[in-house]
Amino acid sequence: MNRRPNTVENGLRPVPLDQELRRSDLSPLERNALRFTEPAESELFRWQQPPPPEVISRDFHFAAEPLVTGWNRALERPLAIEVTTLPLAAAVPRAIQIPIRSASIRVRSFAFPEPNEAPRTGLTATAVSPGQGQAAGGGARKLSVTRIRPPQDVIKLEDRLNYLLQPPLEALLSDRELAMPLEPFPFQFEGVAFLYPRHAAILADEMGLGKSMQAITAIRLLLCRGEIRSVLMVCPKPLVTNWQREFQLWAPEVPTLAIEGDQARRAWQWRLPDVPLRIANYEVVVRDREILEQGEDGRPVPFDLVVLDESQRIKNRGSTTSEVVRGLSRRRSWALTGTPVENSAEDLVGIFEFLAPGFLSPQMKPRKMGRTVSDYVLRRTKEQVLAELPPKMFRDAELELAPEQRETYRLAEEEGIVRLTEMGQAATIQHVFELVLRLKQICNFDTVTGASSKLERLEADLEEVAGSGRKAMVFSQWVGTIQRLSKALRRFGPVEYHGRIPSSRRDGVIRRFREDRSAHVILMSYGAGAVGLNLQFANYVFLFDRWWNPAVEDQAINRAHRIGASGPTTVTRFLALDTIEERIDHVLQEKRELFETIFSGAEGPGKLGLTHDELFGLFALPGRAKRAA
Amino acid sequence: MESGNSISRPAIGFLTVLDHPQHGLFGGYLVLNFTGRPLEFHCTAPIKPNRAQQILYGPTLEPFLYGEQIGSTLLGHAKASPLVICTDREPVLSLRDLVDLPVALVLPPGDPPESDGTPPEAHPAVPLLAPDESQPGDACHAPAPCTHDRPDLPGMLRIDAPHGRSPRLITFELGRNRLALSPRRGDDRQALSERLGAAAAALDLWEPFTRIREAIEEAQQAAR
Repeated sequence: MNRRPNTVENGLRPVPLDQELRRSDLSPLERNALRFTEPAESELFRWQQPPPPEVISRDFHFAAEPLVTGWNRALERPLAIEVTTLPLAAAVPRAIQIPIRSASIRVRSFAFPEPNEAPRTGLTATAVSPGQGQAAGGGARKLSVTRIRPPQDVIKLEDRLNYLLQPPLEALLSDRELAMPLEPFPFQFEGVAFLYPRHAAILADEMGLGKSMQAITAIRLLLCRGEIRSVLMVCPKPLVTNWQREFQLWAPEVPTLAIEGDQARRAWQWRLPDVPLRIANYEVVVRDREILEQGEDGRPVPFDLVVLDESQRIKNRGSTTSEVVRGLSRRRSWALTGTPVENSAEDLVGIFEFLAPGFLSPQMKPRKMGRTVSDYVLRRTKEQVLAELPPKMFRDAELELAPEQRETYRLAEEEGIVRLTEMGQAATIQHVFELVLRLKQICNFDTVTGASSKLERLEADLEEVAGSGRKAMVFSQWVGTIQRLSKALRRFGPVEYHGRIPSSRRDGVIRRFREDRSAHVILMSYGAGAVGLNLQFANYVFLFDRWWNPAVEDQAINRAHRIGASGPTTVTRFLALDTIEERIDHVLQEKRELFETIFSGAEGPGKLGLTHDELFGLFALPGRAKRAA
Repeated sequence: MESGNSISRPAIGFLTVLDHPQHGLFGGYLVLNFTGRPLEFHCTAPIKPNRAQQILYGPTLEPFLYGEQIGSTLLGHAKASPLVICTDREPVLSLRDLVDLPVALVLPPGDPPESDGTPPEAHPAVPLLAPDESQPGDACHAPAPCTHDRPDLPGMLRIDAPHGRSPRLITFELGRNRLALSPRRGDDRQALSERLGAAAAALDLWEPFTRIREAIEEAQQAAR
């Protein structure tokens, strides 16, 4: 029996059963496997299926007998059971506590005094009710929300919040009791919101933007709120009636009292109790200094608010007016001016001596001064806030003097210079001024022949003005010039407004100019006509001669170019070529740049206005020792 | 209270919460009389929810913080008892469960009612108000469906709205204002009308929140 090696187990090649094979054909491994099954001498063999195994059965019978051991009884006994308790090894879950603490919340609380105002309803409406008329010429129908913000010098948080939490200005003024005759412009609301919380403030808007209305509205709100009870408005004399009219228009419920009459009457007026608003001119305040300082019981007459209109009147700190005004007993001080700086930065220092004594010093550089006063001064120009205001167009009329004028001028200048030169160190600013004024007058009219190239040009222009049915304003610094012009321009229906026209007649002059269609021109002096008048119905302004500083000229121009102007304002500045006027014009330009430096932060010139040396420099004279001006 | 005050006239409370990205939540509560003048102002120091609160409160965190924590605390410091409380933050409406006063959400003026952009039919109409409770002019709107049940788990009720959304608010107009109420407080509409009275026609209930925000910023600057 030969058995085929298990090819799978032994790794041999597969060989079919019953196939005759030669030993020599086998691999060494297969031959080795065959060695155990086949004789070594046999060459041929075949793998065969092994036969089934042979089975042999045998029956065994073994006798088994039980062995008596006596253990049976023990088998009958119950089994003793022992119980053993084994602890389960299951893990106890760990609990993590996450506390949800409600931390105590810190709260700051503020209570405000309940306003002392009549019960009203619905005041929180923010919109100015539509339908109110906008100031003529304006178009600001857009509703605005103006918030009253605390000034920087309000330190206490409670006080600051009291301002911040007030309703918007528009909401306050939408109340029926505070209804406004015209809808203010948004920038005017801003101006009111600026003044309202301030104890010291300058509203320095360019002329024509409604400083009066803004001040009156702020005063009205403070009176209504009960925060002030006694106000003194100080203004130039010609403007007292103007302020009365403005108060009547914008705050008709506020009783006003103009301080006027003889001294006894004025003393009585000053001492009247419960007068919310007094209007007095600067001269009256100076004249009644003693009454104001002593009062009735030896104490100064107290005011909650003193407002200075055209506050440049106190720019000179050494003046009596400044001294008296600064001595007024008051809690709040406001100044209104379109020209806080007329000649030099010291003008502003003078005004601040009234607002906040010591706050500014003359030594401050203009730019630093501008930063220092930024929270106290609000200054807007028409270009900034009145996109819809008609334009203001300048055209400089540079004129050659008439031949006879030129000759007179040449002689006067040469003579004047010779005289000043001869005076040497004895020459003062007054001497220079005299010469300047004389030469300027010759530039207007030849003192010998009366010839005037300016008049010729003015007449030509006024023909056009009158022909188009419009009105013009002509400014000069001399009443004499105005009167000569009045005669020469009679066919244009001129009216005069200057220092020689009594105050009682001035309103009538303005009324005639406004209402009389044949009155095409008003002839005004800079001193009387430059401030406080609303002449926006005039479209033409002629500066027949030039004033000493540009601010006064601007004021004059802005009598016409202001809110309500019906069309462009054309400004003609007469300038006699190659004369003192041309030289002064350069100085005026420098003053404009100074103003820009303080109120816009722009770089400006180092020189400040018309200095002592510059005055002498007008005639190419060397500087002299300073004398009293 | 830094100074005393006696409240003798009807007042309205305005409560808002500012979410400052760095400092956290500032609460502000302003009490005005009917002329719009401030009587009291209260503001909180900033608070920030911790991580555990954020996880465990889930979508109920804002109502908890705005209403229970900040709102309740601020009202607790006020002396004045306003007739109504207005807010411009929806989570503050949860304060209504803690006070016996109408709490109304003032909606921005001029904006159309909120919408999540989903067609109406996508939200199964499950009105929170029974039909007989609704009033003419009411609008039940919200950026979320108002179903509280889980369709995947029948019989199970969610305590929060799905996906953190709010249930529908009841919106309506009162005078010149658009207001919204918590859906469970529809009755407050009547109370609001009665308490604000005729003044409601002219009151601008949206504007005072601007004041509160500015006052909070001012107080915050002062604290630095």
